[in-house]
Amino acid sequence: MKKNILLLLLFGFILSGTVFAQQKNIIGRDIGELKGIKISGRVTDQITGEALVGASVTVKELNKTEITNTNGNFLLELDRAEYNLEVRYVGYETVKYPFVAVGEGRISIRMIQEDFELDDVVIFGSDPEKNIRSTEMGAITLNMNTIRELPPFLGEVDIIRSMATLPGVSQVGEASAGLNVRGGGSDQNLILFAGAPIYNPTHLFGLFTAFNPDIVNNVTLYKAVIPAEFGGRGSSILDIVPKSGSLTKWGGDLMAGNFSGKLSLNGPIVKDRISAQMGLRGSYINWLLKSLNNPDLRTSQANFYDANGIVYGEINEKNNVTYSFYNSYDDFALASDTTISWKNQSHSLKYEGSFSEKTAIDILGYHTVYDYSIFNASGTNDFDLISGIKDTGLKVKFAYQFSDKNKFNIGADTKKLTINPGELIPNASTDSGLLPKKVQSEYGQESGVFFQHDLEFGEKIGVSYGLRYDNYQYLGQRAVKEYAENLPISPANVIGEKNYAEGEKIQSYDGFGPRASLRYSLDPKTSIKLGYNKMYQFIHLISNTATIAPTDIWKLSDQFLAPQIVDQISLGIYKNFRGNIFETSVEVYYKDIQNIVEYKDGANLILQNNLETEVIPGQGKAYGLELFVKKNLGRTTGWISYTYSRSLRRVISPFEEENINGGDWFPSNFDKPHDLTLIGNYKLSALISLSATFGYSTGRPVTFPEAKFDFAGNSLAYFNNRNLQRIPDFHRLDLSMNFKFKGKGKFYDGDWTFAVMNVYGRKNPFSLFFADQVGSPPQAFRLAILGVPLPTLSYSLKF
Amino acid sequence: MLRRLVFLLLLLPLACIDPYNVNAPDGERYLTVEGYITTDPGPHSIKLTRTDTYGSAFEGLIRPVVQATVAVRDSEGLVSFLTETSQGVYETPANFRAKVGMSYTLQIDLSNGQSYSSLPELVKAVPKMDSVSYRSVSVATDSRLLDRSGVQLTAHFKDPGDESNFYYWRTGPATFVVVANPELFTLSPNHPTNPRGAAPKDCCAICYYQEQRRVQNFAIGTDVDFNGLSTRKQVTFIEDDGLRFKDTYRAEVQQMAISDNAYRFLKLIEQQLSITGSVFDQPPANIRGNMINLADPDEVVLGYFIAADIDTKQIYIKRTNLDQKLLQTPSIIPDDCRIFPGADTAIPSDWNPN
Repeated sequence: MKKNILLLLLFGFILSGTVFAQQKNIIGRDIGELKGIKISGRVTDQITGEALVGASVTVKELNKTEITNTNGNFLLELDRAEYNLEVRYVGYETVKYPFVAVGEGRISIRMIQEDFELDDVVIFGSDPEKNIRSTEMGAITLNMNTIRELPPFLGEVDIIRSMATLPGVSQVGEASAGLNVRGGGSDQNLILFAGAPIYNPTHLFGLFTAFNPDIVNNVTLYKAVIPAEFGGRGSSILDIVPKSGSLTKWGGDLMAGNFSGKLSLNGPIVKDRISAQMGLRGSYINWLLKSLNNPDLRTSQANFYDANGIVYGEINEKNNVTYSFYNSYDDFALASDTTISWKNQSHSLKYEGSFSEKTAIDILGYHTVYDYSIFNASGTNDFDLISGIKDTGLKVKFAYQFSDKNKFNIGADTKKLTINPGELIPNASTDSGLLPKKVQSEYGQESGVFFQHDLEFGEKIGVSYGLRYDNYQYLGQRAVKEYAENLPISPANVIGEKNYAEGEKIQSYDGFGPRASLRYSLDPKTSIKLGYNKMYQFIHLISNTATIAPTDIWKLSDQFLAPQIVDQISLGIYKNFRGNIFETSVEVYYKDIQNIVEYKDGANLILQNNLETEVIPGQGKAYGLELFVKKNLGRTTGWISYTYSRSLRRVISPFEEENINGGDWFPSNFDKPHDLTLIGNYKLSALISLSATFGYSTGRPVTFPEAKFDFAGNSLAYFNNRNLQRIPDFHRLDLSMNFKFKGKGKFYDGDWTFAVMNVYGRKNPFSLFFADQVGSPPQAFRLAILGVPLPTLSYSLKF
Repeated sequence: MLRRLVFLLLLLPLACIDPYNVNAPDGERYLTVEGYITTDPGPHSIKLTRTDTYGSAFEGLIRPVVQATVAVRDSEGLVSFLTETSQGVYETPANFRAKVGMSYTLQIDLSNGQSYSSLPELVKAVPKMDSVSYRSVSVATDSRLLDRSGVQLTAHFKDPGDESNFYYWRTGPATFVVVANPELFTLSPNHPTNPRGAAPKDCCAICYYQEQRRVQNFAIGTDVDFNGLSTRKQVTFIEDDGLRFKDTYRAEVQQMAISDNAYRFLKLIEQQLSITGSVFDQPPANIRGNMINLADPDEVVLGYFIAADIDTKQIYIKRTNLDQKLLQTPSIIPDDCRIFPGADTAIPSDWNPN
């Protein structure tokens, strides 16, 4: 009998997997019950297997609706009869599930994401009231369907750029890869792909993001009250969750644009057990470079690709294993004879299991590598310069659910970091007049234990609190210079050197990082939340440029460079209107940052064995107000986000000559007080949609020269205090139009996207600089990365 | 037609750089010192100027500082006074030469009563250059049809392994043969009887011209990268303007040993000159020199007084030895070569191309 039920369940399970399950399913073991039959069920995403939270399960005959809980479960109490179940979830195709209830049993519903085949666009993928009901704060999840509706950047949907359209998130300029979250530096974001950190996920110096959108399921950015399970970075966590392939049928996407093309495939390796998802993207951007007038770019060459693979295996309904692979590669031959290349590679293996309805365990192991090299073949003193960073880590998390309103998780993680800050290898074959040089490698171990407790008291009050204890060790082998006391740390003041053996502890730091948030709901559509978090960061990006460059070096905290410590407090009010069609929020925050790395004038960072002589610790503070209005549903969807914020720095040293700007507060490179983004999407018909993005921000700070003087016939500028002037304000409008073609017969679904970036051709300066150039007097110049309207065209199809 | 339109759309350039008007704040006018003394015979010159506001194109001129008392004092206490030879330019006596192992300070008394001094600069011995080599190179420009080309000079030398060395390369005065075609001379188009008529001249086809370039290229190096090795360094690029390489060009390369601090100063200068506004630029740095106001050490004084040991080498670059594909079309001077300002038919006394 039991076997029969299993078979039945399996039968129902397969049928529900195929959307058109019209056959009647008999649920439950028939023991003659007539009333009060309890039927439980679970709603999951067919592709990712993730629980769908907040899906509505309607029994049509009784006009009764249940909402799935945070595990995607629901419970119905029915009389013995035939029913038609309808399961709805925004962004997914509605599933109709007819069944006969004969006894206690279980239903499994798998839903497929709709691809906007309705007239209306829906841009929330999860629970539409999550912003109000959850105690979580400062976390934004964008699913790929939302991101796809934004105008593409250079022909492609861009995950990181999409994040920058949200309040409190900005970028330095048009060709910069890093995000600045609430006044934090771009090294204060931890970017995770399937749980593994990715150090430089950019192509072509930040013009493209190195994540193939076709293999991404959703992206969550935590910018405040970061859950205790995450640590190690000061400002934000960007958690990118890849898709896993379909367990039932093979399919894929293909896209070709002006500059790059991509292909992804997914399907079952073993039906209903193991699936695979693969993505490959490559560029053909060389023709664009050849067409540029800038001589350095014209004689340059660029290649990039990224490749991903995800294998998902279901051991049984309660246990699954996912292996994810990420690889990105870039090379850029600058003005013919110098090639810069960088690559990221990560592997991660994740096991998710549950012992019971209430207990779950996640185990994650990963290995990630970021390497860059500069290869010089100019004919004079040829060399290779290589550098890299390597992380290997493990994380275990247990979750226990006392009830829907009382959840607890606890866990631990550890990772080992190895950095090769730089190695110069002269090219032996060309009789190079250079010496080989290797900067000492750095070793560190970063570990943490954490717990988080989410509690709700009735409907009105929710509390979430957690604590993370971070421990960091800086390890040998290493020779460390000792400097004279009471003198600036400089090469002239070295008094000795101490050697540490392999694995020997050189320095350690630890600290407690509390996280807490409190929610008070004024009514079911309005809530107020207050949050606090403290983060420790033991790794610093050593970069003397305004943005993330592939040549940046990562540096671990040592006895000279203490960890960055970030304290943030935030307060917000959230309100939804008109049945969650409009979602609004106002948030304010204040952030204090300790031990930010600033640079001495003319710092020499490349192949530098003693970086402590070139850098100087500073303080930072940031505060701001963020407004957000989003329309989630209808022919017109989109959002408005406005941020007023400041991000300031201060460097006070015991030695007056090391002070920057006389020890006063000065704006950071990305201090842009006003930042406004308008995004609109209008569905002309079921197949044609228009979208527009408008961005405005205050110009970023620059340093103007105080005076000019001559040296060797060159006119030079004398700069004194940093970042006291600003470049002109930034504003840009992007438009795009999307045509969809429905596949009929042997034709596949496809769509054309035509987009124009910078529609009115504003020359938004990325930078202003002062130069004495041949043929013109010494003066200021502006560099606009996108100085003209740029049209792009791409075609993609789904099969 | 449609295809062509599509191509046009796709070929639009992306980035652009153009001049931009800024209103830089009115700064103070700081004293600037430029110049160096070497172990070569004098005169060596020191230039004193005052800075100006870095505004738009033609605003403000850098003004010379005149009627100052300028002297160089060595570590044995010997003082040599400099005389003002032209506005703001002060020269040492012709017999003045710096000595290896000695330190020098520059002392300035301005007519407004302010006194300045440099920190002492120690002169260290410079290794001799083994040779100077050259090769043709081309440089891409904004106009793809008119790429620039020229000659790259490389200094070859052996770095001493037992000390840290900081190098500074400059080019000395260059001389080249001006080739003219007096036989192609034609009369003025306004000539009353024979406009544009052929009127070949007998003289002169060959002149010698010593050129002074406004912008002097320089290069710097530290032996951190090549301590104790025989190495080479690209010192300068001489652009082919259609005249320089019509026959023979004589270049002079100076290799100097400078102090650690002078190197750091020049590094900042080099860094600023290489700024292109791109995402990889370093932020502008405050370029501090080695001059201080004796009464007010907080006063900003720009520039650096350098004292260096020097080694000089000349090289003759012959047209026949250059890569013919990388030569610019020669400019024709259809006249007596002496109409070229500064050119002379007299062969320089030390001209020895073979």
